[in-house]
Amino acid sequence: MGRYVIRRLIQAIPVLIGATLLIYALVHYLPGDPVQALAGEKRADPIVADMIREKYHLNDPFLVQYWNYITGVFQGDLGESLTGRPVSEMIGDAFPYTVNLALVAFVIEAVVGVAAGVMAALRKGKFLDQLVLISTLLVISIPVFVTGFVLQLVLGVKLKNDYGIEIFSVSFNEEDGLRAYLLPAFVLASMSLAYVARLTRTSLMETMRADYVRTAVAKGLKRRRVIGRHALRNALIPIVTFLGADLGGLMGGAVITERIFNIHGIGGLLAQSVYQKQGTIIVGVVTLLVLIYLVTTLLVDLLYAVLDPRIRYE
Amino acid sequence: MRGATQTKWLVAATAIALAATACSTSSKSDDKAASGGGSIAVQLGEPQHGLVPQNTAESEGAEVLNALFAGLVEYDNKTNEPKLRVAESIESPDSKVWTIKLKDGYTFHNGEKVTAQSFVDAWNWGANQDNAAEGLPFFAKIDGSADLAPGKDKKPATDKLKGLQVVDDKTFTVTLTNPFSQFKTMLGYNAFYPLPKAFFSDPKSFEEAPIGNGPFQMDGKWEHNKQIKVKRFDNFPAADGKAKLQSVTFRIYDNLDTAYNDLRADNIQATDKLPISAMGTVKGEFGDRYIYKPESGVGYIGFPISTNPAAYGKPEIRKAISMAIDRESITKTIFSGTRVPADDFINPLIPGYRKGAMGDAAKYDPAKAKQLFDTAGGVPNNTIELGYNADGGHKEWIEAVANQLKKNLGVEVTTKPFEKFGKILDALGDKQYSGAFRMAWSMDYPSIENYERPIFSKVAIENGSNYGGYVNEQFESLLDQADQAKSPEEGLKLYQQADDVLIQDLPYIPVYTYMSSAAYSKKIKNFDTDAQGRMNLDEVELAG
Repeated sequence: MGRYVIRRLIQAIPVLIGATLLIYALVHYLPGDPVQALAGEKRADPIVADMIREKYHLNDPFLVQYWNYITGVFQGDLGESLTGRPVSEMIGDAFPYTVNLALVAFVIEAVVGVAAGVMAALRKGKFLDQLVLISTLLVISIPVFVTGFVLQLVLGVKLKNDYGIEIFSVSFNEEDGLRAYLLPAFVLASMSLAYVARLTRTSLMETMRADYVRTAVAKGLKRRRVIGRHALRNALIPIVTFLGADLGGLMGGAVITERIFNIHGIGGLLAQSVYQKQGTIIVGVVTLLVLIYLVTTLLVDLLYAVLDPRIRYE
Repeated sequence: MRGATQTKWLVAATAIALAATACSTSSKSDDKAASGGGSIAVQLGEPQHGLVPQNTAESEGAEVLNALFAGLVEYDNKTNEPKLRVAESIESPDSKVWTIKLKDGYTFHNGEKVTAQSFVDAWNWGANQDNAAEGLPFFAKIDGSADLAPGKDKKPATDKLKGLQVVDDKTFTVTLTNPFSQFKTMLGYNAFYPLPKAFFSDPKSFEEAPIGNGPFQMDGKWEHNKQIKVKRFDNFPAADGKAKLQSVTFRIYDNLDTAYNDLRADNIQATDKLPISAMGTVKGEFGDRYIYKPESGVGYIGFPISTNPAAYGKPEIRKAISMAIDRESITKTIFSGTRVPADDFINPLIPGYRKGAMGDAAKYDPAKAKQLFDTAGGVPNNTIELGYNADGGHKEWIEAVANQLKKNLGVEVTTKPFEKFGKILDALGDKQYSGAFRMAWSMDYPSIENYERPIFSKVAIENGSNYGGYVNEQFESLLDQADQAKSPEEGLKLYQQADDVLIQDLPYIPVYTYMSSAAYSKKIKNFDTDAQGRMNLDEVELAG
């Protein structure tokens, strides 16, 4: 197992170098001029534009630029944005918000989703099952920005103005601590939560019909033990796969949710720098995201072995 | 059942208690208002650059700098005329050599006195290309600016503008390369703010916590993507009017809809940018606390006159196109009233604007337009091409214009999206695109001249925004005469004559001008915005 982890980590190095080169190239050859993008609707002053290009070496050939960038990265310098802020500082500012939001959303989606799925599966066809099915269908069919804006308006504006109750504020307010993350995290998690509930329901219903479950019941084991130890544990494998991939996605930032609740996380940073064609920021953020995906998929793979003893890593 | 009723009562009681505390806190701040005080929060977008006035050419940074600095002149919120502020007098016998005298009593927030040198140093820094300051073009009229900005691969030979001379602590002279009667109007712009010595010794920390000479000073550093806090500067001269509020927090938003919801919940007290989605309901919700007034932007349809004279060379064709556009319906249905029909080349907020100056050229008259178009001989292949940048929300109105031209002039109209604004500019510059195009302008300083020379003059072909390549000698000579006029009033008349030439020639056709909308909560009063759409935070007070 130790060797397996080390091998996976070594594999990550070429992936990272390849990813940075690829993204750097993509951004470089994107049409549009980053210096003009800074000036917005007006033509950038030719002299100022030339000076900015010179300062950030934008006139150098692609490989020279990439070499300068990557040697900087190995010395711990992620470069500067075209407006003179260190990229490491920008990522450092944004990342904690994204991590907190992703973790809260992940907990909501895993706990509520699995619980709803299990309850529905065990009461197949009954009221609770129908309730879970219909409500998840509803959540899946409404776009996130609608859910977000409606909840913001109802809980943030109406509740305060009409009843004087202030539980959730309209936009993210750091002073509120964990409470500030609850509403955005719920909105962010809602879609995946519905998927997790439905996946758990089907997966569990299927394993409940498996031979080993029938054997366990025939042996006279308690129902709680049959479901928890034998059925659910096997049913969890596809769910863990989904959750693992989803955690990576959540960490990658939730552009829409972040925008609605004014959380200045990774998603917004990435979207804005793509729009402004700020290569150094894009590469820095995406490299970080690649790292996160590599780690989460590794964790998911290791979890399989915990859930299913037949899976071994040598 | 009984349990449920009890909970209900409990909720109601809590709500009342909460409301009561809310009332008592607000009445407490009312007491403060009487003696001048209180704290509010307002909407802001993340400024693009470090907060150095000479390096700020975008609205968000300018909003903050406006609270932190006081310029030589400021603009009247109603008429937009420049009024003296830090300057005691700004005079010139020939519109070329200007003598600027300063008032007493202004100091920077660190105690340093504001002197003539503070201005001269700041302008020298801004004009020097080595600093790559966004405000550099503002110094182009000052004598010696070319020496400080010789261009790519060249080094400035000096670091001082030849045209700036300090006479004494309170007086300096500015010599311009050519006379410019409207020079005073430029001076309220933030590129002309003074800088303290502290800036030159440590520009990096200044960017995060600027030291200005205005009614507010920084309270801590700029917290990126979160907020910028400022507090009242108590040593600000009383004659200029100290700030009424104790402190203001600029809360940084990415999204105007969220900011608007925060305003409705009174979490922030003002915003000077409303989302389009609010336009339908804001009047009913905010009533008198909703401000709707002209903003400096103009939207045009431009013509490649020099590249494609066969199609767009005749003024009659351009006039016919102008008359075939239903400006009223475009601004109402597509822009929900955030823009209004243009009827002059000059924006309505600028002194010198004449309502309806364009006459029938801006009036929607399909029949006349068609007749004029046909008599003038139409366009080659009976086809008009309309280019626009697809990244700025222009598709809808350009499509609408296309449909109107199709219907009213009986021509084929094709629209051509460019992915970014810069792409159209490049294609026009390289003469690779020869169709009509969407164009826009927003002012640098509230002067009529700013709507003429930078867009339609000969020099602006190389070094400005004259993308159509329009040249008219009469227009040029009127501009020169206006620049050299002995007084701003005399200059204004000549600029209006130059405007008449534009109206005759229609090198671009103005389609709409922008409206700015702002709204503020019940908690404050005396709120207003200026010509640049900036808030007058020094005059705002808590409502009694």
